[in-house]
Amino acid sequence: MKSLHRPLQVYIVIVVLYAALMGWWVTFLTNEGTWLVRDMQRAGAALTAEQAATLELVTARTGKMFLAESTFLGLLMLGSVWLVLRALRRETLLAQQQRNFLSAVTHELRSPIASAKLYIESLQLGRVEPAKTERYLRHAHEDLQRLAHIVEDMLVSRRLQDARVEVRPEVLELRSLLEPQLERLRERHGPRGARIELLAGEAVTALADASSIDTIVDNLVSNGVKYGGEHAHVELILRAAGDRAVLQVRDHGKGLAGADRRRIFEAFVRGGDESVRTQQGVGLGLYIVRELVAAQGGRITAEDAPGGGAVFEVSLPLARHEGAARSEDNAATNGDGAR
Amino acid sequence: MSHERLLVVEDEAHLSEVISDNLRLEGWRVDVVADGATALEAIRASRPDLVLLDVMLPRMDGFAVCDALRKEGNDVPILFLTARASSDDRVRGLALGGDDYLSKPFELKELILRVRAILRRTEWFRSPSPAGETLTLGKASVDFRTNRAQVGERNYELSPKETMILRCLAERPGEVVSRAEILDRVWGYDAFPTSRTVDNFIVRLRRILEADPREPRYIHTVRGSGYRLTP
Repeated sequence: MKSLHRPLQVYIVIVVLYAALMGWWVTFLTNEGTWLVRDMQRAGAALTAEQAATLELVTARTGKMFLAESTFLGLLMLGSVWLVLRALRRETLLAQQQRNFLSAVTHELRSPIASAKLYIESLQLGRVEPAKTERYLRHAHEDLQRLAHIVEDMLVSRRLQDARVEVRPEVLELRSLLEPQLERLRERHGPRGARIELLAGEAVTALADASSIDTIVDNLVSNGVKYGGEHAHVELILRAAGDRAVLQVRDHGKGLAGADRRRIFEAFVRGGDESVRTQQGVGLGLYIVRELVAAQGGRITAEDAPGGGAVFEVSLPLARHEGAARSEDNAATNGDGAR
Repeated sequence: MSHERLLVVEDEAHLSEVISDNLRLEGWRVDVVADGATALEAIRASRPDLVLLDVMLPRMDGFAVCDALRKEGNDVPILFLTARASSDDRVRGLALGGDDYLSKPFELKELILRVRAILRRTEWFRSPSPAGETLTLGKASVDFRTNRAQVGERNYELSPKETMILRCLAERPGEVVSRAEILDRVWGYDAFPTSRTVDNFIVRLRRILEADPREPRYIHTVRGSGYRLTP
């Protein structure tokens, strides 16, 4: 950013000088007629009434013309200043995002490497009481899993950016698909006091890609646990609405807290300043979710839930017997579109 | 068993667990806090012998904690432990008054050696000097316990590092003390990359203690080797 400061200063000086020059020029030209008349009067030359009237008319007309020209130029200049400032603001924001991204990735990769390394070194050097050995191994394993997860997220988002992710929607009963997955998620998050519940009525059959659904639910639930505060409570509500299958993932945390509802789905966007970060992550989870939802012809929204917390709503095409073929076409086109 | 008390400031639960376990194994007492603001309160309430301070922390980052402490005159030794490893960050950490800087991931042995080195330096500094508690150089007198110098009627506040350099020289009056030795005793083995640093401190000390800093009477430069104090 510093490299931009000097040219910007020069630019502002030029604009100010130019404005001053123009002001002087306009004043000079509009007053010229008046001076001319005064000079002539001083010299004793008398103007006929007709000549005076014509002179006044001409002076007024040129005055108006100069004023219009200078206003136009002035507006043009203000416009250019505004454009430059806007570009600069964008640049600053982008630079901030890039710093945040680098900072987050550095921290997210180095921290688990550091702790896994120390756990293993402690074991190697025989510095661990037997009672703690199992715990050390488990924690080192968790660190490696966290690393694997980040690397996987980075690879998937890279593939999504290059539109190389294959999505094959098929007719799926979502409830029976979700149940075993939620069991795994409970095993993962349960020990830290998180509660994960599925609220589903009748069977909901959608046109979706099983492995994408797996990633979507994993990311949304983990996100809910992460931002759900201590003893997070994450609810999944599955239902059919019109021709869509709707899955809501709701947590009871602080909600979106004014975060931009669209920006949270962008890659590497994380709330706040990274040097005072409060949450793990590199900011890829929701981006991956949005892209996978879109590739299946679905939509995703994020809102503050009534009564606190955030609710993410994914809607996918419902696979009805009579409409299955049509939905399939839709999904295929949408999928292609995303690619 | 030593009884030094260390404070680990780290928000990653796994790191703070494995670090504090290993430090306890060395016989130190270890407290752990997980964010910058709590760390600042804890250090103000009861000064530990060393703070192991992460940089990226919730609520208040490690650099800000260090800066706040130094500004209020708290010279608790600080070892930065951080995932940021650019030389800018390292220089920033040390410029803010950090004592040493270790980037993650690091070796367990290195961590323990560095902690020991900092504790050894501060212990040397806190123990009574064999050269006595005060140093008199003509009209100037320096109190090693309070980091104060009195020159005639005027009082000066010395930084702990300045006092430590003077002590290094005063403990061997008339002998040449090399820059490397001063660096080692005052800063630790590789915290500061350059022996120029020592020269800068000497310049300031001369300005305070010497009647004519350009013609030093007490703190002499020995070309090519180091410094000598002649009381």
